[in-house]
Amino acid sequence: MGDLLVDVVREAFTPTTAAFALAAVGLNFHFGLTGLLNMGQAGFMLLGMYGFAITVREGGPIWLAVIVALAVSMVFGLILGWPTLKLRGDYLAIVTIAAAEMVRYLGRSQNFNSLTGASTGIRGNEFKGPFEDLSPFPDRMVDVGPFAFHGTRSTSWWLILVAWVIVAIFILIFARLSRSPWGRVLKGIREDEDAVRSLGKDVYSYKMQALVIGGAVGAIAGVIWSLGASVQPDSMGRPTTFWIWTLLLLGGAATIFGPVLGSILFWCALVLIKGLAAMWIPDTVLSQEQLQPFSLLLVGVTLMLLVIFRPQGVLGDKRELAFND
Amino acid sequence: MTDKNPFAHVPSEPGAHKEDPIIIADHVQRRFGGLTAVDVDHFEVQRHAITALIGPNGAGKSTFFNLLTGFDKPQKGEWLFNGKSMKGVSPAKVARAGKVRTFQLTKALNRMTVIENMRLGAADQRGENIFAAFVPSLWRQREADITERAHDLLHRFKLYEKKDDFAGSLSGGQRKLLEMARALMSEPEMVMLDEPMAGVNPALTESLLDHIVKLKNEGVSVLFVEHDMHMVRRISDWVVVMAEGRIIAEGPPDTVMLNPEVQEAYLGVHHDTDLSEESSS
Amino acid sequence: MKRSLGTRAMVRALVVFLVAAAAVTWLLSAQSTAATSQSASLTSIVTTDTANHAPALGSAAIADSIAVTEVATPEQTAESDAQSRVLQNVFNGVVFGLLLALASVGLSLIYGTTGLSNFAHGEQVSLGAMVAYFFATDQPVSIPLTPWEFVIGWPLWWAAIAAIVIAGGTGWIQDKFLWGKLRKRGVGVVQQMIVSIGLSLALLNFLQWWIGPDRLRLSKAIEVRHQVGPIQIGNITLMSIAIATVVLISVALFLQRTRLGRATRAVSDNPSLAAASGIKVDSIIRLVWIMAVSLAALGGILMALYDSGTKFDVGAKLLLLMFAAVTLGGLGQPYGALAGSLVIGVVVETSTLWLGPDLKYATALGILIIVLLVRPQGILGRAERVG
Repeated sequence: MGDLLVDVVREAFTPTTAAFALAAVGLNFHFGLTGLLNMGQAGFMLLGMYGFAITVREGGPIWLAVIVALAVSMVFGLILGWPTLKLRGDYLAIVTIAAAEMVRYLGRSQNFNSLTGASTGIRGNEFKGPFEDLSPFPDRMVDVGPFAFHGTRSTSWWLILVAWVIVAIFILIFARLSRSPWGRVLKGIREDEDAVRSLGKDVYSYKMQALVIGGAVGAIAGVIWSLGASVQPDSMGRPTTFWIWTLLLLGGAATIFGPVLGSILFWCALVLIKGLAAMWIPDTVLSQEQLQPFSLLLVGVTLMLLVIFRPQGVLGDKRELAFND
Repeated sequence: MTDKNPFAHVPSEPGAHKEDPIIIADHVQRRFGGLTAVDVDHFEVQRHAITALIGPNGAGKSTFFNLLTGFDKPQKGEWLFNGKSMKGVSPAKVARAGKVRTFQLTKALNRMTVIENMRLGAADQRGENIFAAFVPSLWRQREADITERAHDLLHRFKLYEKKDDFAGSLSGGQRKLLEMARALMSEPEMVMLDEPMAGVNPALTESLLDHIVKLKNEGVSVLFVEHDMHMVRRISDWVVVMAEGRIIAEGPPDTVMLNPEVQEAYLGVHHDTDLSEESSS
Repeated sequence: MKRSLGTRAMVRALVVFLVAAAAVTWLLSAQSTAATSQSASLTSIVTTDTANHAPALGSAAIADSIAVTEVATPEQTAESDAQSRVLQNVFNGVVFGLLLALASVGLSLIYGTTGLSNFAHGEQVSLGAMVAYFFATDQPVSIPLTPWEFVIGWPLWWAAIAAIVIAGGTGWIQDKFLWGKLRKRGVGVVQQMIVSIGLSLALLNFLQWWIGPDRLRLSKAIEVRHQVGPIQIGNITLMSIAIATVVLISVALFLQRTRLGRATRAVSDNPSLAAASGIKVDSIIRLVWIMAVSLAALGGILMALYDSGTKFDVGAKLLLLMFAAVTLGGLGQPYGALAGSLVIGVVVETSTLWLGPDLKYATALGILIIVLLVRPQGILGRAERVG
């Protein structure tokens, strides 16, 4: 049990948790502030990953790789938004899912093998180098209290530090922007576009800005995630987007800390449930390989219950429910 | 501001030219499939006055209203606002040009507070630009000015106590007032009211009417669409009557109702609109 | 009046399908004619092993199809080879389209009657296949959270019928205890859509937990193949086509000829108008849910037979294709769903000829996106449903 608790607390600050928190911050720009139903955040993450990894693999410096990641996702956002932002909510959801899936299919297709590595993706040693070279931490396993991570490689203390610093930066950015007059316009758009138009604001332009910014944040989230894992298109599929939605709604959409809290709760709960299930439920009833789908089943049920009974999540204000009916 | 009646020499006929028109519309046509909803040859609205646009159901008033505010596009036609062409101009640009509108189904932004609703109505806030938004010093001052103006308007509309409440928690009538107050934040030259009396309980009616008259006294031009004849008679300086998409009559409120064409249009379509003089009090 | 509207819709659907099929066929035979004249350089033509009729599902499909280097053969036989490949693909596309239609009609009707974009519809397809497997397989199965394993091993017919009945039951349960209650509470369509996303996640993982992640066979029967002109058909495929066609025609007859069916179309077209004319909308919606899930289950079972195999995520993979089909045909228009499914089926299958098997979904998704941008109401839908 003690080991399980250590695992649960450990999960709270892994790079995966940070990456998903950041992806949720991006989604918060889309849905929390503006009411856009972006069901394709995984697509932005995947494009960010590809942009970064391919640039590094081709010999580019790390700062260029980051710029490419941002640029690719922003262009995707522009292309996606240009014709679709006039569509009604659920239509936008379908288009964004389709677009994200297309990115995934194209990425995993044999036709692009030389560029993206098809379904195998891009291996860590091809793109993690420059990032790991920047690490001031030792190149071996390092124990801090009960938590053991490598100093520099892959899922490392270095990545944890960088990831959470980036999360903090974007939380600040979100806070500042959402409290600004710009954020106010977006909140108005979330409520009623026509009203905002009648007050002289160019609704389409604002929606596009929100889409592009949220997508760019998602791209950075993808880069962080891939630095702890690998660039693999099938890991950025529909379920990934749905998890981001779940953890955003769990923490509280349209709140500043909702994405972080939601991500921590989500991932820790998963570890906890799997751990408890493994401990208490005999193997004959629930086998080892069934643990994962079992816990994800609970994720699905959680999403349903959240949306029905507590759409404002943990931190949200009921009067400011992020759902527009 | 002249005390002289600006309508003294304006003939009571459809499409009459006004002394100082703020809106001039020509040959405006809007069709939906085979149905012609609006077919207006000529239309002018006098500046600094309150003009009423009335007509039986299905006359095309709302469609015409939407056309004039940019929320709909006609198949044919041109109109000028303050001498500037508004053809094909988006609703946001129309608003920025100085013509704001309200909605029949009040669009108070429910999940925002009253004061935030008001601040949103203001124009020229640099902070609404994404880049400027990062640098509060660029917009703090304007925000303070906007807030001050919002407070003034809220006092005037008796909503000040509610300023930090969510707009959704206000009563229907209060939301109507909020929408009107919000529309005034940008100091528009013209305010277009879409059935301002719709759904308003009688106790609030007088107060609303007073607010609208005060607008005129401050130099704002007003055009409103209405069914409520009492309101039309009470405060409008000029009445325009539409039926079946065309303007069939224009004139001062007391005489336009006596126009036989107008009476026929109403009696033929909308029985319960009270045109008689006795009910005016 | 309604009769002629329905006929007009069907005719339109048929025309679209024929035009699309003809266009695709022409385009591809033109392409492959040009291609075979440079046969030596075409090492990437995938000859769909017609014995395995390039199933549209899963990466196992890629392993199944064999890539063959085109040998420089005399142009004429190469050309007729290419043409028969095209025809085979078109045929496969039609079959796939029919099966897809079984699943999509329900999705369209649910949208039309309730406004819900049901993201869990893919799982209704999977559910049908999985429940049928549960009953039919001679491998030991178990109920989740119980340690006992047992073998049921019913004949396939019984298993299939049981699966469809159970599926219909879950449809009823869904509307009575979930969607109906949400509608009564006034929960918005967007919120309901997200609930369906959660349900989809839950069901997908439930199926993986219950049945497992492996590829499964519903029937051990070996297909007997016949050659009809240039096309190869297995007898299982023939049976699937027959069943699907009969069922789809029955659904069409139901919608056209019966009072209940006409009421369903009325609600699907304009729920408020239908309610105003006295139709009991809630009962219709309940019926729609039962029908939709049953049809989806049947679709899942037939797909499993056609594909010589199925998996817990078969429906999840199809979800976007279903949305593409339904959107193309017009959300809320059942005949549109049929037409759209056929078009998507043909497009998906024939795109393998020049795009390669792993991109075939991409074309369908491309169509979906284009339709939503250019004409969101689809072929048969009404414009107001959109903005």
